[in-house]
Amino acid sequence: MLPHGATSAIDRDTAPQAPTESADGFFLPNFCDPRMVLAVVLLAELLALTFALVRPAEVGFLNELARLSVLMQWLGLTSSALICLARDSLRRLTTPLVTGAVLAIVLANILVLSVGVVWIGRWRGEGLMLEIFPSALWPFALKNLLIGLIVTALLLRYCFVSHQWRRHVESEARSRIDALQARIRPHFLFNSLNTIASLTRSSPEQAEEAVEDLADLFRVTLSDAGKLLTLKEELELSRIYQRLEMRRLGDRLKVVWDVALLPMRARLPALTIQPLLENAIYHGIEPLESGGTVTISGGADGDEIEISVSNPTVAPTGEASRRGNRIAVLNIRERLGLAFAGRGSLEIEQTDSSYTVRLRFPLQL
Amino acid sequence: MSAAERKLLIVDDEAPARSRLESLVAGLPGWSALGSCASGAEAIARIERERPAVVLLDIRMPAMSGIEVARHLCLLDSPPAVIFTTAYDEYALEAFDSHAVGYLLKPVRRERLESALAHAARLSDALLSELGRSVKGFERRRHLAARVRDELRLIPLGEVRLLKAEQKYVSVFHAGGEDLIEDTLRQLEQEFADLFVRIHRSMLVAIGAIEALEKDAEGGYHARLRGIPDRLPVSRRQVTDLKARLGIKR
Repeated sequence: MLPHGATSAIDRDTAPQAPTESADGFFLPNFCDPRMVLAVVLLAELLALTFALVRPAEVGFLNELARLSVLMQWLGLTSSALICLARDSLRRLTTPLVTGAVLAIVLANILVLSVGVVWIGRWRGEGLMLEIFPSALWPFALKNLLIGLIVTALLLRYCFVSHQWRRHVESEARSRIDALQARIRPHFLFNSLNTIASLTRSSPEQAEEAVEDLADLFRVTLSDAGKLLTLKEELELSRIYQRLEMRRLGDRLKVVWDVALLPMRARLPALTIQPLLENAIYHGIEPLESGGTVTISGGADGDEIEISVSNPTVAPTGEASRRGNRIAVLNIRERLGLAFAGRGSLEIEQTDSSYTVRLRFPLQL
Repeated sequence: MSAAERKLLIVDDEAPARSRLESLVAGLPGWSALGSCASGAEAIARIERERPAVVLLDIRMPAMSGIEVARHLCLLDSPPAVIFTTAYDEYALEAFDSHAVGYLLKPVRRERLESALAHAARLSDALLSELGRSVKGFERRRHLAARVRDELRLIPLGEVRLLKAEQKYVSVFHAGGEDLIEDTLRQLEQEFADLFVRIHRSMLVAIGAIEALEKDAEGGYHARLRGIPDRLPVSRRQVTDLKARLGIKR
């Protein structure tokens, strides 16, 4: 499943899926999977080819390859079938025991096969080409067992290492998503609390609403980082955020919503638009004494959704604030990329008087 | 209002924050709020006029931050004690000289406000003047402040065209005229390195105000600035630097 690892993070949210190999921490690949069987066939053939090449030339290369192919395919397919049948029992064992069990299965298989080959040779050998059947059992069987031991041990080691590596990569990706989780600025939290403290005396009803809004917003912020929301939910969240900011900033903040044409059932990562509105207010509106207007507009073109958030800009004065802005925007870009497998994008358009962030992502219901 | 009451001014750009502080101060004996201002410039004007003992000054405000207001205030002969208020401690406020300045985190607790005010009331003028020094370097200003008698005249940086070192002061030539400020040319050059360029030992010019760079018959250069009739000499050693800043190839 390695080549498909990249999409599994998204599939998890959209469709229920059979548990992946890595999810249960089992290092052995699934030998019941047809793709794995194909891999076994290819590997067996490669080994047959390798051994045939090593043989002295007088034996006849093609004869040797044919003989070894039959043996290797037989061995590979029967071993795979046995491991597949034993999978549920193997799953319960520790890694050293699994290794031992698999080696035992393969070696027993090799022994049976070697004995079988020698017997067939003794029984019907005269009618066939005699030279391909070994006459003595033990030299033949022991050699096969040794080769089988080495090759199987190497393959198990490979499976184990690549499984460890995949687990490492996945846990890194997971922690990256966690780290990317949109965080609401502490600045906003404390200002909102201050506003509520003030409203508690002057206008208890408004204070109550503000607490409810703050609770809704933080519930989403504190939830699972990879969560998908519908566009309707995400826009509602942004409106809640806007209400909180308007209690604080009064007439200085105006927000124009031009989102009627958006497909509200489309899904996107939680807290994608809200942080853009937050940025627009923090960097665009708050530094303006008389305030300004943030415009959120969006539309769909076939399967592609486009949403832009635009704010007026002030003359550049604080380098630090622009750096903060860029981090938040890069964070959203990365989360879009992860959620839409590279099909989500974020662009920034900056003019002397305005700053616009444009999101594009595929319609996903 | 009894004569013994100390006067206090509240400065915050957010209305709910102002009204909360007003209601807190109203409950404190011995203090009376002069009212509140929504911007730094308004605050400076009122402080000059009404001379409060203490200013509760929000740090994050549009146009002029609380830190810049405090820097300008320390030019006054007897500046008010400044207590900064902020919602979130992103400015590492502990770094300020704790003798000269206090700060309160919003939402402000009544007891903390009370003790900060009590502390501020004990400070001497000399300590208060220290404030400006401890705030310096924290944030760059958006205005220069000139003291005219004991009033502050704020000059937006965008309007400044030429800074010229005189005997003890620096003359600021700006859209609204000419004023003297107490900063040194070297400090100004460091603080606003991206806005001004030195053309001469005693002159910094605003890059945006340069209209032309002219070469005379002897090979010397002169700069012409918007709104300034004289051509200004560019010293030889500054020519290369100036050309580079203006994007002129040699």
